[in-house]
Amino acid sequence: MSSGKAASVVTRQVRPILSLSHDDSRRRVLALYKAWYRQIPHIVTEFDIPKNTKQCQQKLREEFLKHKDVKDIRVIDMLVIKGQMELKETVTKWKQVGHVMAYWKDSVNKKPDDFLGKFLDGKD
Amino acid sequence: MASNILRKLSCSLKNVGLSGPRVCQTLSVAPSALSRCLSSEAAAGAETRPTVRPHDAVAREHLVDFGRYVAECLPKFVQKVQVTGTDELEVLVAPEGIVPVLTFLKDHHNAQFASLADIAGVDVPSRLYRFEIVYNLLSLRFNSRIRVKTYTDELTPIDSVNDVYKAANWYEREIWDMFGVFFADHPDLRRILTDYGFEGHPFRKDFPLSGYVEVRYDDARKRVVVEPLELAQEFRRFELNSPWEQFPNFRDTSVIEDATPTTEKK
Repeated sequence: MSSGKAASVVTRQVRPILSLSHDDSRRRVLALYKAWYRQIPHIVTEFDIPKNTKQCQQKLREEFLKHKDVKDIRVIDMLVIKGQMELKETVTKWKQVGHVMAYWKDSVNKKPDDFLGKFLDGKD
Repeated sequence: MASNILRKLSCSLKNVGLSGPRVCQTLSVAPSALSRCLSSEAAAGAETRPTVRPHDAVAREHLVDFGRYVAECLPKFVQKVQVTGTDELEVLVAPEGIVPVLTFLKDHHNAQFASLADIAGVDVPSRLYRFEIVYNLLSLRFNSRIRVKTYTDELTPIDSVNDVYKAANWYEREIWDMFGVFFADHPDLRRILTDYGFEGHPFRKDFPLSGYVEVRYDDARKRVVVEPLELAQEFRRFELNSPWEQFPNFRDTSVIEDATPTTEKK
Protein backbone atom coordinates (compact mmCIF):
# COMPACT_ATOMS: atom_id res chain seq x y z
CA MET A 1 0.00 0.00 0.00
CA SER A 2 2.83 2.33 0.89
CA SER A 3 4.62 1.57 -2.36
CA GLY A 4 1.45 2.28 -4.33
CA LYS A 5 1.11 5.56 -2.54
CA ALA A 6 4.74 6.41 -3.21
CA ALA A 7 4.29 5.65 -6.88
CA SER A 8 1.27 7.93 -7.10
CA VAL A 9 3.19 10.91 -5.69
CA VAL A 10 4.87 12.65 -8.60
CA THR A 11 7.27 15.45 -7.85
CA ARG A 12 7.80 18.19 -10.38
CA GLN A 13 10.51 20.78 -10.33
CA VAL A 14 8.87 24.19 -10.76
CA ARG A 15 10.21 27.68 -11.00
CA PRO A 16 9.31 29.81 -7.94
CA ILE A 17 7.56 33.14 -8.40
CA LEU A 18 8.92 34.96 -5.34
CA SER A 19 9.17 32.73 -2.29
CA LEU A 20 11.33 29.67 -1.84
CA SER A 21 9.80 28.40 1.40
CA HIS A 22 6.60 28.58 3.43
CA ASP A 23 8.24 30.93 5.93
CA ASP A 24 9.19 33.22 3.09
CA SER A 25 5.66 33.34 1.68
CA ARG A 26 4.20 33.80 5.17
CA ARG A 27 6.46 36.79 5.71
CA ARG A 28 5.31 38.32 2.44
CA VAL A 29 1.65 37.84 3.33
CA LEU A 30 2.13 39.49 6.73
CA ALA A 31 4.06 42.35 5.16
CA LEU A 32 1.23 42.92 2.68
CA TYR A 33 -1.34 42.81 5.47
CA LYS A 34 0.61 45.37 7.47
CA ALA A 35 1.01 47.62 4.46
CA TRP A 36 -2.75 47.58 3.84
CA TYR A 37 -3.44 48.07 7.55
CA ARG A 38 -1.24 51.16 7.73
CA GLN A 39 -2.78 52.64 4.62
CA ILE A 40 -6.39 52.22 5.74
CA PRO A 41 -6.63 55.54 7.69
CA HIS A 42 -5.30 57.39 4.64
CA ILE A 43 -7.69 55.53 2.34
CA VAL A 44 -10.63 56.47 4.57
CA THR A 45 -9.68 60.13 4.51
CA GLU A 46 -8.78 60.21 0.81
CA PHE A 47 -11.92 58.52 -0.51
CA ASP A 48 -15.41 59.77 0.16
CA ILE A 49 -16.74 56.41 1.38
CA PRO A 50 -19.38 55.78 4.04
CA LYS A 51 -17.05 53.50 6.02
CA ASN A 52 -14.80 54.16 8.98
CA THR A 53 -11.37 52.76 9.75
CA LYS A 54 -12.75 49.97 11.90
CA GLN A 55 -15.01 48.66 9.15
CA CYS A 56 -12.19 48.82 6.62
CA GLN A 57 -9.89 46.84 8.92
CA GLN A 58 -12.59 44.23 9.34
CA LYS A 59 -13.02 44.00 5.56
CA LEU A 60 -9.25 43.67 5.11
CA ARG A 61 -9.19 40.79 7.57
CA GLU A 62 -12.11 39.17 5.75
CA GLU A 63 -10.38 39.46 2.38
CA PHE A 64 -7.23 37.80 3.71
CA LEU A 65 -9.11 35.06 5.55
CA LYS A 66 -10.92 34.24 2.31
CA HIS A 67 -7.69 32.54 1.16
CA LYS A 68 -6.62 31.05 4.49
CA ASP A 69 -6.69 27.49 3.14
CA VAL A 70 -4.31 28.12 0.27
CA LYS A 71 -1.16 26.08 0.83
CA ASP A 72 0.67 26.21 -2.52
CA ILE A 73 3.56 28.68 -2.24
CA ARG A 74 3.21 29.82 -5.82
CA VAL A 75 -0.53 30.44 -5.47
CA ILE A 76 0.15 32.45 -2.30
CA ASP A 77 2.81 34.45 -4.16
CA MET A 78 0.41 35.17 -7.01
CA LEU A 79 -2.23 36.37 -4.54
CA VAL A 80 0.36 38.56 -2.79
CA ILE A 81 1.39 40.09 -6.11
CA LYS A 82 -2.23 40.85 -6.99
CA GLY A 83 -2.79 42.26 -3.51
CA GLN A 84 0.19 44.56 -3.90
CA MET A 85 -1.13 45.77 -7.25
CA GLU A 86 -4.54 46.45 -5.68
CA LEU A 87 -2.89 48.36 -2.84
CA LYS A 88 -1.00 50.54 -5.29
CA GLU A 89 -4.15 51.17 -7.32
CA THR A 90 -5.96 52.23 -4.15
CA VAL A 91 -3.24 54.35 -2.56
CA THR A 92 -2.39 56.24 -5.75
CA LYS A 93 -6.10 56.92 -6.21
CA TRP A 94 -6.32 55.24 -9.60
CA LYS A 95 -9.38 53.58 -8.14
CA GLN A 96 -12.55 55.56 -7.67
CA VAL A 97 -15.12 55.38 -4.89
CA GLY A 98 -17.09 52.71 -6.72
CA HIS A 99 -14.02 50.48 -7.04
CA VAL A 100 -13.21 50.74 -3.33
CA MET A 101 -16.83 50.19 -2.30
CA ALA A 102 -16.96 47.09 -4.52
CA TYR A 103 -15.24 45.18 -1.69
CA TRP A 104 -18.42 45.46 0.41
CA LYS A 105 -20.86 44.37 -2.33
CA ASP A 106 -23.59 46.34 -0.51
CA SER A 107 -25.91 46.45 -3.52
CA VAL A 108 -26.01 42.67 -3.85
CA ASN A 109 -29.02 41.06 -2.20
CA LYS A 110 -28.17 37.85 -0.43
CA LYS A 111 -29.87 34.86 -2.00
CA PRO A 112 -32.31 33.01 0.28
CA ASP A 113 -30.94 29.64 1.36
CA ASP A 114 -33.93 28.24 3.27
CA PHE A 115 -36.89 26.52 1.65
CA LEU A 116 -39.50 29.18 2.34
CA GLY A 117 -37.23 31.98 1.22
CA LYS A 118 -36.51 30.21 -2.07
CA PHE A 119 -40.22 29.48 -2.54
CA LEU A 120 -41.17 33.11 -1.99
CA ASP A 121 -38.35 34.21 -4.29
CA GLY A 122 -39.88 32.07 -7.04
CA LYS A 123 -36.64 30.35 -8.06
CA ASP A 124 -35.42 26.77 -7.73
CA MET B 1 26.25 29.51 -43.84
CA ALA B 2 25.67 32.52 -41.64
CA SER B 3 24.80 34.64 -44.62
CA ASN B 4 21.57 32.97 -45.65
CA ILE B 5 19.70 36.18 -45.94
CA LEU B 6 22.55 37.87 -47.78
CA ARG B 7 22.58 34.93 -50.15
CA LYS B 8 18.85 35.36 -50.52
CA LEU B 9 19.34 38.97 -51.50
CA SER B 10 22.03 38.21 -54.04
CA CYS B 11 20.07 35.26 -55.35
CA SER B 12 16.96 37.28 -55.93
CA LEU B 13 19.07 39.96 -57.60
CA LYS B 14 20.55 37.30 -59.88
CA ASN B 15 17.09 36.09 -60.75
CA VAL B 16 16.07 39.59 -61.64
CA GLY B 17 19.17 39.94 -63.76
CA LEU B 18 18.52 36.71 -65.64
CA SER B 19 14.94 37.14 -66.57
CA GLY B 20 14.61 40.86 -66.03
CA PRO B 21 14.54 42.02 -69.68
CA ARG B 22 11.67 39.74 -70.59
CA VAL B 23 9.58 40.97 -67.70
CA CYS B 24 10.46 44.53 -68.57
CA GLN B 25 9.42 43.98 -72.16
CA THR B 26 6.12 42.43 -71.40
CA LEU B 27 5.12 44.33 -68.32
CA SER B 28 7.42 47.37 -68.11
CA VAL B 29 7.05 47.55 -64.36
CA ALA B 30 9.17 49.45 -61.91
CA PRO B 31 12.28 47.56 -60.71
CA SER B 32 11.07 47.51 -57.14
CA ALA B 33 8.11 45.38 -58.12
CA LEU B 34 10.20 42.96 -60.17
CA SER B 35 10.85 40.37 -57.53
CA ARG B 36 7.21 40.23 -56.58
CA CYS B 37 6.19 39.65 -60.22
CA LEU B 38 8.82 36.98 -60.57
CA SER B 39 7.76 35.08 -57.50
CA SER B 40 4.14 35.05 -58.54
CA GLU B 41 5.14 34.03 -62.05
CA ALA B 42 7.24 31.15 -60.78
CA ALA B 43 4.37 29.70 -58.80
CA ALA B 44 1.80 30.42 -61.48
CA GLY B 45 1.78 26.81 -62.60
CA ALA B 46 0.86 25.60 -59.15
CA GLU B 47 -1.59 28.28 -58.13
CA THR B 48 -3.82 30.24 -60.51
CA ARG B 49 -6.62 31.35 -58.23
CA PRO B 50 -6.20 35.06 -57.57
CA THR B 51 -7.53 34.89 -54.04
CA VAL B 52 -5.05 32.26 -52.89
CA ARG B 53 -1.58 33.31 -51.91
CA PRO B 54 1.00 31.64 -54.19
CA HIS B 55 4.00 29.88 -52.72
CA ASP B 56 7.49 31.22 -53.18
CA ALA B 57 9.66 28.13 -53.11
CA VAL B 58 12.96 30.07 -53.08
CA ALA B 59 11.97 32.29 -50.19
CA ARG B 60 10.68 29.26 -48.35
CA GLU B 61 13.98 27.47 -48.80
CA HIS B 62 15.82 30.48 -47.36
CA LEU B 63 13.48 30.52 -44.38
CA VAL B 64 14.15 26.85 -43.75
CA ASP B 65 17.90 27.49 -44.00
CA PHE B 66 17.76 30.38 -41.59
CA GLY B 67 15.63 28.43 -39.13
CA ARG B 68 18.13 25.58 -39.25
CA TYR B 69 20.94 28.04 -38.61
CA VAL B 70 19.14 29.50 -35.57
CA ALA B 71 18.53 26.02 -34.18
CA GLU B 72 22.21 25.12 -34.62
CA CYS B 73 23.36 28.31 -32.94
CA LEU B 74 21.10 27.88 -29.91
CA PRO B 75 20.71 24.12 -29.46
CA LYS B 76 20.08 24.48 -25.73
CA PHE B 77 16.93 26.55 -26.11
CA VAL B 78 15.43 25.91 -29.54
CA GLN B 79 13.19 22.87 -29.38
CA LYS B 80 11.71 22.96 -32.84
CA VAL B 81 11.77 25.05 -35.99
CA GLN B 82 8.90 24.96 -38.44
CA VAL B 83 7.62 26.75 -41.51
CA THR B 84 3.88 27.22 -41.80
CA GLY B 85 1.87 26.69 -44.94
CA THR B 86 1.89 30.44 -45.56
CA ASP B 87 5.72 30.63 -45.50
CA GLU B 88 6.21 31.93 -42.00
CA LEU B 89 9.17 30.81 -39.93
CA GLU B 90 8.38 29.73 -36.39
CA VAL B 91 10.96 29.00 -33.70
CA LEU B 92 9.70 27.07 -30.68
CA VAL B 93 11.88 27.67 -27.65
CA ALA B 94 12.00 26.60 -24.01
CA PRO B 95 10.61 29.25 -21.62
CA GLU B 96 13.93 29.78 -19.79
CA GLY B 97 15.62 30.62 -23.09
CA ILE B 98 13.33 33.33 -24.37
CA VAL B 99 15.68 36.19 -23.45
CA PRO B 100 18.83 34.64 -24.99
CA VAL B 101 16.96 33.67 -28.16
CA LEU B 102 15.42 37.11 -28.65
CA THR B 103 18.76 38.78 -27.86
CA PHE B 104 20.41 36.59 -30.48
CA LEU B 105 17.76 37.36 -33.09
CA LYS B 106 17.97 41.07 -32.36
CA ASP B 107 21.73 41.48 -32.26
CA HIS B 108 23.02 38.89 -34.71
CA HIS B 109 24.41 40.57 -37.81
CA ASN B 110 22.55 38.32 -40.24
CA ALA B 111 19.24 38.46 -38.40
CA GLN B 112 18.76 41.98 -37.02
CA PHE B 113 15.18 41.46 -35.91
CA ALA B 114 15.29 44.81 -34.19
CA SER B 115 11.55 45.41 -34.08
CA LEU B 116 9.12 43.59 -31.83
CA ALA B 117 5.84 43.73 -33.70
CA ASP B 118 3.64 42.03 -31.15
CA ILE B 119 3.39 39.59 -28.28
CA ALA B 120 0.35 37.34 -28.31
CA GLY B 121 -0.99 34.62 -26.07
CA VAL B 122 -2.79 31.38 -26.84
CA ASP B 123 -4.70 29.36 -24.27
CA VAL B 124 -5.07 25.61 -24.76
CA PRO B 125 -6.42 24.30 -21.43
CA SER B 126 -5.85 20.62 -22.26
CA ARG B 127 -2.07 20.97 -22.31
CA LEU B 128 0.29 20.60 -19.37
CA TYR B 129 1.59 24.11 -20.06
CA ARG B 130 -1.63 25.69 -21.21
CA PHE B 131 -0.41 29.10 -22.39
CA GLU B 132 1.59 29.76 -25.53
CA ILE B 133 3.35 33.11 -25.68
CA VAL B 134 4.04 34.22 -29.25
CA TYR B 135 6.62 36.89 -30.11
CA ASN B 136 6.38 38.36 -33.63
CA LEU B 137 9.61 39.96 -34.76
CA LEU B 138 10.39 42.08 -37.80
CA SER B 139 13.78 42.64 -39.37
CA LEU B 140 13.71 45.99 -41.10
CA ARG B 141 17.19 45.40 -42.48
CA PHE B 142 16.31 42.20 -44.34
CA ASN B 143 12.55 42.75 -44.73
CA SER B 144 11.84 39.51 -42.97
CA ARG B 145 9.63 38.30 -40.17
CA ILE B 146 10.02 35.52 -37.64
CA ARG B 147 7.78 34.13 -34.93
CA VAL B 148 9.15 32.86 -31.62
CA LYS B 149 6.89 30.73 -29.47
CA THR B 150 7.27 29.58 -25.90
CA TYR B 151 4.99 28.07 -23.31
CA THR B 152 4.00 28.42 -19.66
CA ASP B 153 1.16 27.74 -17.24
CA GLU B 154 -0.80 29.88 -14.78
CA LEU B 155 1.88 29.86 -12.09
CA THR B 156 5.18 29.60 -13.94
CA PRO B 157 6.76 33.01 -14.43
CA ILE B 158 8.37 33.92 -17.74
CA ASP B 159 11.37 36.25 -18.02
CA SER B 160 10.42 39.68 -19.22
CA VAL B 161 12.05 40.72 -22.48
CA ASN B 162 11.69 44.39 -21.60
CA ASP B 163 15.48 44.72 -21.42
CA VAL B 164 15.79 43.48 -25.00
CA TYR B 165 12.80 45.23 -26.56
CA LYS B 166 11.36 48.32 -24.90
CA ALA B 167 8.13 47.67 -26.81
CA ALA B 168 7.57 44.56 -24.70
CA ASN B 169 6.54 46.64 -21.68
CA TRP B 170 2.92 47.19 -22.63
CA TYR B 171 2.59 43.92 -24.55
CA GLU B 172 3.59 41.96 -21.46
CA ARG B 173 1.24 43.97 -19.33
CA GLU B 174 -1.50 43.04 -21.78
CA ILE B 175 -0.61 39.34 -21.57
CA TRP B 176 -0.56 39.58 -17.78
CA ASP B 177 -3.96 41.25 -17.77
CA MET B 178 -5.65 39.00 -20.32
CA PHE B 179 -4.09 35.62 -19.45
CA GLY B 180 -2.59 36.03 -15.98
CA VAL B 181 0.91 34.99 -17.04
CA PHE B 182 3.43 36.52 -14.66
CA PHE B 183 6.54 38.13 -16.16
CA ALA B 184 9.55 38.11 -13.86
CA ASP B 185 11.67 41.28 -13.71
CA HIS B 186 9.12 43.40 -15.50
CA PRO B 187 9.60 47.02 -14.38
CA ASP B 188 5.94 48.01 -14.24
CA LEU B 189 3.65 44.98 -14.33
CA ARG B 190 0.05 46.04 -13.68
CA ARG B 191 -3.32 45.92 -15.41
CA ILE B 192 -3.67 47.74 -18.72
CA LEU B 193 -7.06 46.89 -20.25
CA THR B 194 -9.40 45.80 -17.49
CA ASP B 195 -11.04 48.01 -14.88
CA TYR B 196 -9.57 48.44 -11.40
CA GLY B 197 -10.86 45.74 -9.12
CA PHE B 198 -11.64 43.43 -12.04
CA GLU B 199 -11.22 39.80 -11.10
CA GLY B 200 -10.11 37.10 -13.49
CA HIS B 201 -8.34 37.06 -16.81
CA PRO B 202 -10.74 37.44 -19.75
CA PHE B 203 -8.78 35.65 -22.50
CA ARG B 204 -8.56 32.41 -20.59
CA LYS B 205 -10.72 29.73 -22.12
CA ASP B 206 -12.44 29.06 -18.77
CA PHE B 207 -13.54 32.69 -18.47
CA PRO B 208 -17.21 32.89 -19.48
CA LEU B 209 -18.12 34.95 -22.53
CA SER B 210 -20.52 37.08 -20.48
CA GLY B 211 -18.10 37.61 -17.58
CA TYR B 212 -18.85 37.15 -13.90
CA VAL B 213 -20.13 40.61 -12.98
CA GLU B 214 -22.10 43.46 -14.44
CA VAL B 215 -21.49 47.11 -13.68
CA ARG B 216 -24.17 49.80 -13.49
CA TYR B 217 -24.67 53.28 -12.09
CA ASP B 218 -26.79 53.26 -8.94
CA ASP B 219 -28.81 56.42 -8.61
CA ALA B 220 -29.53 56.02 -4.89
CA ARG B 221 -25.89 55.44 -3.93
CA LYS B 222 -24.59 57.95 -6.49
CA ARG B 223 -21.82 55.66 -7.65
CA VAL B 224 -21.07 52.71 -9.89
CA VAL B 225 -21.87 49.35 -8.34
CA VAL B 226 -20.62 45.88 -9.30
CA GLU B 227 -23.08 43.01 -9.14
CA PRO B 228 -22.81 39.32 -9.99
CA LEU B 229 -24.27 38.51 -13.38
CA GLU B 230 -27.40 36.47 -13.65
CA LEU B 231 -28.49 35.10 -17.01
CA ALA B 232 -31.48 33.00 -17.86
CA GLN B 233 -30.40 29.64 -19.22
CA GLU B 234 -31.74 30.14 -22.74
CA PHE B 235 -29.53 33.17 -23.35
CA ARG B 236 -26.43 31.18 -22.61
CA ARG B 237 -26.74 28.62 -25.40
CA PHE B 238 -24.86 29.40 -28.59
CA GLU B 239 -24.31 27.23 -31.64
CA LEU B 240 -20.83 28.26 -32.69
CA ASN B 241 -20.04 25.51 -35.18
CA SER B 242 -21.19 26.17 -38.69
CA PRO B 243 -22.26 23.17 -40.78
CA TRP B 244 -20.61 24.75 -43.86
CA GLU B 245 -16.96 25.12 -44.73
CA GLN B 246 -16.46 28.84 -45.10
CA PHE B 247 -13.06 29.00 -46.77
CA PRO B 248 -12.57 25.89 -48.94
CA ASN B 249 -9.78 27.66 -50.85
CA PHE B 250 -7.68 27.78 -47.70
CA ARG B 251 -8.29 24.22 -46.65
CA ASP B 252 -4.67 23.10 -46.91
CA THR B 253 -2.83 26.26 -45.88
CA SER B 254 -2.15 25.03 -42.39
CA VAL B 255 0.44 22.48 -43.51
CA ILE B 256 3.43 22.93 -41.23
CA GLU B 257 6.86 21.82 -42.32
CA ASP B 258 9.36 20.78 -39.69
CA ALA B 259 12.78 22.33 -40.21
CA THR B 260 14.60 21.32 -37.05
CA PRO B 261 18.16 20.33 -37.96
CA THR B 262 18.44 17.33 -35.63
CA THR B 263 15.54 15.56 -37.29
CA GLU B 264 16.92 16.44 -40.70
CA LYS B 265 20.27 14.81 -39.96
CA LYS B 266 18.97 11.59 -38.46
